[in-house]
Order: sequence, then structure tokens, then C-alpha cells
Amino acid sequence: MRYDSITEAIGNTPLVRIAPDVHGLRHIDLYAKLEMLNPFGSLKDRAAWNMARPALHDAQRSGATVVELSSGNTAKALALIAGMHGLPFKSVTNRMRIPEIKDLLLLLGAEIEELPGQSECLDPTDTDDPLTLFHQRLSRPGGAHLHTDQYFNDLNTEAHATGTGPEIIADLDGRAPDWLIACVGTAGSSTGTARTLREHDPSRPVSVVGLVGEKSDFIPGIRTIDEVQEVGIFDPGTYDAIESVSADEAIDGMLTLLRRCGMLAGPTGGAAYHGAVRHLTAVDAELAERRARGAAAERETAVFIVCDRVESYLGYLRQRRPELLGRPPAKNSAATVTEAEIRGASVVEVAEAQKWIAEQRPLVVDLRGPFAYAALHIEGSVNIVDELFEELVRGGLPFGRRQPVLLACPVGEKSARYAALLTRMGHPDVRSLAGGIIAWRDAGAPLVRD
Amino acid sequence: MSNAPMHQEPPSPEPPFPEPLYLEPRLESALESLLKETSFLQGLVAALGSPLHILLPEQIASNAERFRGVFRRHQLTGRIFFAHKANRSSSLVRRLAATGERLGAGLDVASLGELRHGLGAGFAGERVVATGPKSPEFLWLAARSGVTVNADGVQEVEEAARLVRTYGLPRVRLLLRLSEFETPASGTRTLSRRSRFGTPVKALDTLLDAVERHRDALEPIGVGYHLDTTGLDEKATALEGCLRAMEELRIRGFTPRAVDVGGGFGTGYLAHAGQWDRYTSALTDAVMGGRPPLTWGGHGYGLRVENGTLKGSLALYPAYRSVAGPGYLDALLSRPAPGLGRPLGTLLLESMYELFAEPGRALADQCGLSLATVLEVRRAEAGEYLVRLAMNAGDVSLEDHGVLMDPVLLPQEDGRGHGRGEGPVGVHLMGNLCLESDLITRRRVCLPRLPRQGDLLAFANTAGYCMDFGATHAQQQPLARRVAVWQEERGTGGWRWRLDEEYWPITRTGTDTDTGTGTDTDTGSGSGTGTPTGGPYA
Repeated sequence: MRYDSITEAIGNTPLVRIAPDVHGLRHIDLYAKLEMLNPFGSLKDRAAWNMARPALHDAQRSGATVVELSSGNTAKALALIAGMHGLPFKSVTNRMRIPEIKDLLLLLGAEIEELPGQSECLDPTDTDDPLTLFHQRLSRPGGAHLHTDQYFNDLNTEAHATGTGPEIIADLDGRAPDWLIACVGTAGSSTGTARTLREHDPSRPVSVVGLVGEKSDFIPGIRTIDEVQEVGIFDPGTYDAIESVSADEAIDGMLTLLRRCGMLAGPTGGAAYHGAVRHLTAVDAELAERRARGAAAERETAVFIVCDRVESYLGYLRQRRPELLGRPPAKNSAATVTEAEIRGASVVEVAEAQKWIAEQRPLVVDLRGPFAYAALHIEGSVNIVDELFEELVRGGLPFGRRQPVLLACPVGEKSARYAALLTRMGHPDVRSLAGGIIAWRDAGAPLVRD
Repeated sequence: MSNAPMHQEPPSPEPPFPEPLYLEPRLESALESLLKETSFLQGLVAALGSPLHILLPEQIASNAERFRGVFRRHQLTGRIFFAHKANRSSSLVRRLAATGERLGAGLDVASLGELRHGLGAGFAGERVVATGPKSPEFLWLAARSGVTVNADGVQEVEEAARLVRTYGLPRVRLLLRLSEFETPASGTRTLSRRSRFGTPVKALDTLLDAVERHRDALEPIGVGYHLDTTGLDEKATALEGCLRAMEELRIRGFTPRAVDVGGGFGTGYLAHAGQWDRYTSALTDAVMGGRPPLTWGGHGYGLRVENGTLKGSLALYPAYRSVAGPGYLDALLSRPAPGLGRPLGTLLLESMYELFAEPGRALADQCGLSLATVLEVRRAEAGEYLVRLAMNAGDVSLEDHGVLMDPVLLPQEDGRGHGRGEGPVGVHLMGNLCLESDLITRRRVCLPRLPRQGDLLAFANTAGYCMDFGATHAQQQPLARRVAVWQEERGTGGWRWRLDEEYWPITRTGTDTDTGTGTDTDTGSGSGTGTPTGGPYA
């Protein structure tokens, strides 16, 4: 396929059937609409392009900055689109909660502004929300902005009404599915897709399940039941049911897509899969019952939307489910040192250490961070920060056995641990500075800065 | 101001109360057992009047101990200064003054009056830090008594130096309060609410020039910040900014030793996350018109509806906090610095700096409650119950601080049944002022049953900002008296009380395990101490 611009590759994503032995539904065919295969990596590509396109020409003439409230996929797509058209892009966000996306946005040249957190000493008369302040700033005279306004912009919905919806119908041989299951973020995809599916054949109803995040939980890209109320596009009438999904359930759903379906879906896709199977299991049981009674029940068809890919969420997953990324501890690791080994480590008091340094000239290793080391340190010491030291010793002793070593950390705990580890690894004369650099300072021993 | 649709509820035989949307207060063991002493509390109110504030001085000492535990976990030394402005009671301050040096409890004062109160409570000058806007008299007494001055800017630095020279005062220890920190090289810009206080980091050089001019009069011992936010990211940025500023002080040949992370660690007011989630969802729903209002006049607490979409933001204190107080400080210290990468606690330790913290609300957590007598229970035409209290909104400034929680009902013990209204009920709490706006809270609170005239309502956990912050003499209604209470035999025996101003830590029984500075002396029958149940108090 040959294109003149990458934006032409937006849309026409595959609809892939999930094998029945994975989801266990006997009377429903379940399909995944793989929006993650859009060129910028998510279903937001459609909305971003549809919202930006008509305004790009004017923006180029006036040198406007593209602005959006987004901490995720919309920002990513808009950053790329802005870049292609020589425009700056600024993302304003409550919280950049996914560090990988933040880094990616910076790599793409985006500017990121984070709104302040909630006040601790509350002023109840200050009821202007960050959104209102943001809009006030945009409408100030003098500033040139292309504000795509994804939560209120009908072009967001339209992108799905004219793209996602018709594609699903075409791929299902000209029939709308019986079920559409989608997570609600801006509500653009569910609203737009649902509209087209329902209008296709008014005699066949399409049931739409909207999925929201559990209130005290966080699933990237999904809003909670309260937060969706702030979305202009959101209309509760669109949905036959609104159900909530927890982060754990979303991750479980994602694991099924990853490990059994060959789909590199992120947590939002996982939430949609989990929400779909959970809702449809009850429907499936009803269909089975109807059949058992001899009624002519047709097979039903359901579609859920896979929003984006998993790679950006590894940090999120490490934080929530560290066991999924678990590694056994390395052999030469401070974590494997026993209390008995630590008690057996050789420890020197400050006065003794000063004498030892003068007479034997041991290598003095300062395990603190470079910031603290640069400010004040023992003259002649080398700075190997503990994390680096941990890496070094994993491969073996980083200095010869004939070289005596004095290890120093802030209070003498980490240094004792590493002294024990190096002793176990066969070093004959490694000692830990008792009480650390703090004891050294408190004893009035000299510290220098360069 | 609100465009929320006004739902007039049709008069109904039963109050419009589809389900009890409780917001039950979080009670730790001391408050919980005190609230079971109904006749003790009834006796106190009978003797001293309604409203009445009760303080638990022992609790503030154990709260300080919990903060110390966080310091220990990060191997940090330093001080925990109680932000006095959160509560003006003597008993809390005196009890804290009586804790040992190992605990490192200090006092953060924000006015001449608070400083005098702190010194009079037994805090030596070196255990006190003076913050906030300072009058010359405040600054003079602070300098005179060896208090550390948290300096707001160049002018205050100059003023302190002038006082030292003019009046031959000892060299003043300074903490430099900084603001407007920039996110270090992370590529993003964190917008922060503008603060009235502190010197922007950009102007640090000018501030240090001023300090340097007065080297003989001033000793900068460190820098600090105080940000009004619940956001850990903003605080992490500020703390790292302080670490960098400490470097600037060192480069100029000073020997700074402390970083002050201010306060704002928060308090969890509610017992159950689920109740808070359910209530705030219902409130949103009510503002959207999806259910009858949950508040007086359909008040939306900052939420409003425009063209079918929710606008505004919930102007409420996040009353359920899973991480608050000492846990919040722990989370901050465990967080990696945005630029330097290592955990902030580790950076402080490695740089050999002391940590100063100034919790107010979090140190006063569970340290008090406020009592009010029910004067009248009335059923309005719309079917709602109105409960009038011998107390006004100024006496428990819950509404001013956006704190929502249910009071605890303490019924009279006269054996009479409750009859009508038995079972959960929603009521509006009216104050004692002749003023339409005098509602204790605009939320319709939930009680397990309808109160009766003479019952008490106890507002739990009011000691942090919600006790006396906004109390006034409006309409010559009485100001609440305050009483310090404690339990004999370290939390197992009967409850004792004393008027707050008559409380001294030596009144307690049992020794202070943290230092042995307490004594066994209990003056017992001294002024105002006693058990008010029965006899003249009943």
C-alpha cells in the first residue's frame, strides 16, 4: 500500500475474532477492533486527525500552537501531527501518570504543562476547576492556539461515526454487531461508533456497554463514573449499561490478550476485554437457556475496542503487579547478605579509620549519591553510588584482593552490608566506616569539596 | 452562583431518604473510647455549656511519636514542629513541650500571641520556629528568645539584622522560605498555585546577598518550603529545589544543616473509603439532576451543571485519605527526586541534613472533638428534619474547611424511647445564630436515628483547624469552653478532665516513657479537676 502521508494510514484497522476457547462464550462471536494498529499507536489517531485537519491551514498561517488537555494517546497523535505541519504542540494535564508516555511526548518535541494538585488548606470559595482556568487562558487575547478540545469537540465523535463504525459493519459482512463494548475516556469512540451501528439497521438494536474505571483506581485512558460527567461528549443515553472495571481486572484482561490471543494490547484494551466477557457471560447463559427451550436463537456478535499497545505501560505494570516482571535476585547482591554475615563484617571507628588511611592508604569508596559527594567528602575517596556498586559487584570483585578497601555510606549500614558481601566474595581486607560519613563529620574529621 | 437544577422534593410522609449515605468519622482508640463515656460528656456539657471543645493532649504526643518513626525509618534526625495555628489550646502545646529531646517535638508559631503562648507553655526558644507574616514585635521577641526565624524574603532578613544590631540581640538563626520551584530538567513544567509567601528560587541570589551582608547578625541554618497542595510531585520538586539551594549556601561559605519541608501532610477524616466514594458520586449525580439534592438548597460544593455537562471542581477536603500524616511524609521521603533520581530521604541523609517538618492538621489528628446540645428538632414542610444546635458554624469550622463527616449522636440516658423517626435519618444541622447562612454544614448529615432535644452531637476529630479557627463573638453567643481530658493508667482507667488553661503536663498520671520527663504527680483534687457524673454536674 502506498501513501503520500502517514495520516492516510489512519483507520481501516483489522477486526479479529477471539477464539471461543479463550473467552468461553458458546453463542456469541467476540471480535476485537484493533485500534492499536493505527500508525501513531492508538484509536486517538482518528480523533486527533479529524479534529486538527480542518484547522491546520489557518494555524500554519498564524503560527498557532496546538493545545490539548491530554496525558496520553491524543497528545501523542497531536504531537506527531503538529510536528508534520511545523507547529508546536503543548499538552496540559492534571498528572502525567505514565512516565513512558511523558518521555515519548518530550522526544516528539511536545511541551508539557502539569496542573497543580488539590489544595491542602482548602478555600471553599475557590471553585474554579483547572479546566475553567485553562479555557480562560486559551481565550486571552494575543495568544494563538489551535485547541482541539477533545472532550467537547463533535469532530472527535465524527471520526468514529464515519470511520470506526462503518469499518465494523463492512467487516461483519454488512451487519452491525449485537453488542459494542468500549471504555469511556472522551466518550468519542463509543458515542460515534454506537451512532453508526444503531443507524445502520434500525430494526436490529445494538446494545452498548460503556466501561469506566473504579473510583479509587487508575486505568490509563479511562475515566471514573464521576469524571465522565465532566465530558461534554458523554451522554448516559448512549449506553445500555455503564459498568466499572478495576485496574486488576484490566490487567488480567490484558494478560489474556497478550498471552493467549497474540494481541499486544495495553490495560485499556484489557479492561474492554474483561468488561466484554463479564457482561456477555450472562447474556450467553440466557441464549443457552433459550436454545434449550427450543427457541430459535441466532448466534450473536459482539465487538470490543482495543485502544492501544502495552509497551508504554511497563512501569505501570511493574508498580501494580511486580510479580509479572519478577526476576530472581542475582547471586552477588547485597540483598542476599544475611544478618550474621553483616555482624561478621569488619568495621572501623572514625579515629581508627583515619589512622588506617594515613598508614595503609586503603581505597576509600563513598557509596552516597554524586550530589552529596560533590558537596562534601573524605579527601581521596572515590564516589561509586550504591546502585552502580551493586551492578559492579554482580560481575565479580571490582578491585584486586591486595588492595585494602574502606567503604563509607551515610550511617554505616549499607557499607557494612557491602563489606559483608565483598568478604563473602573473597576479599581479605574490606572494612566499613562505623557510623558512616555522619559519624566522620560529627567526630570533626576533615571533609572536603572540590 | 449555581446553575444546578433546583429539585423541589414533593412532601412525603417519610423523609426523602433512599439510603443512608453515611460519612462516618475515623475514630482511633482514644476518641472511640471517649465517645462511649456518654454520661461523662453529658456532665461536662451540663457544667460548662454548649458548645464545648474536648482535647486529648496525650494523643498529640503519640502522633509526634509516629512522625518520629518516619524519621527513624529514613535514618534522619531533625525536628517535628507543631503548626500552632491549627489549634490554639494550651493543653496540646504544653503536652508537646513536655516531651523529651529525643522526640524532637517543636512549635511553629505564626504570631506574637502564639510565640508568647509557646514560650509560656515551656518551649525553649531553640525548639520554636517563627513563620508567616511578622510584625516588628514578633520578630524582636523571636530573635530575643533564640527562636529560628523562617524568613519570607529580603525585607525580613534586613529587618532581622537591623533588630539584632539596634538591640544587641544574639545572632538569629534563619530558615529561608523559598517558592516557585522549577522542575529540574524533566522537560515538563509543573504549574503551582501562586503563593503569597516565600522568595522565588530565581531570586535566591539576591536573598543570599542580603544574608551575606549581615553575616555577623544572621546565621542561615537552612532553607524550606511550604506548598499548599496535596500533590506529592510538586512537593518532591520543591524539596529537590531546596537541596540545590543548600548547595548555593555552601558555595557562599555558610554551613547550612536543615531542610524544612513544611506541613500539609493531611488527615483522613473518614473511616471508610467506600462511603466517601459513594457519597461524592451521589453528590455529582444530584448536581446533574439525577437524584434529589443531598444538601441545603441543592448546594453543589463547587460543582455545577452547564448544558448538561458537569463543571467546576469539588471544593471539599479529600476526607478519606489512604495516605495521610506520617504516611504521607514517608511517601514523600521515599519518592525519587525528579532530577537527581535518588529517593529524597536518601538525599537528605547523604547530604547530612536534618529534616524539619511542620505538621498542623496531621499532628492534631484525633486530638479533639466538639460537643453541642440539640435545642430543637423540627420537621420542615418538605418533609426534611431540621436540627438546631447550641453551637454555630464558627464553633466547628467544618464547612469553612470543606470537611464533610457525620456527627456522633450521644443520646441522653433517661430511658425514654425514641418512637417516631426510629432508624437512620438525614437531618440538616442549624446553628444558633439568627442568620440564614448559619448552617453547621450544608450537607444533610446521616444519623442512626432522629435526635431529641437535650441529646448531644459530637463532631469528632476537630482539633486540626476545625475547632476554633473561625470562632467569633457574633450575636454575643458564648464562645466554646475547652477541656483537656485524659485517661488514667495510660489509657485503661477512668477519664479525668481539667479546663484547658488549667492543664499542665504534670497533672497527668504515669511517666512519659519516651524520656522520663513526666512525673507521677497527680494533683488530683486541684482546681477544675473531677468527675462530673452525678452530683452537682448531673
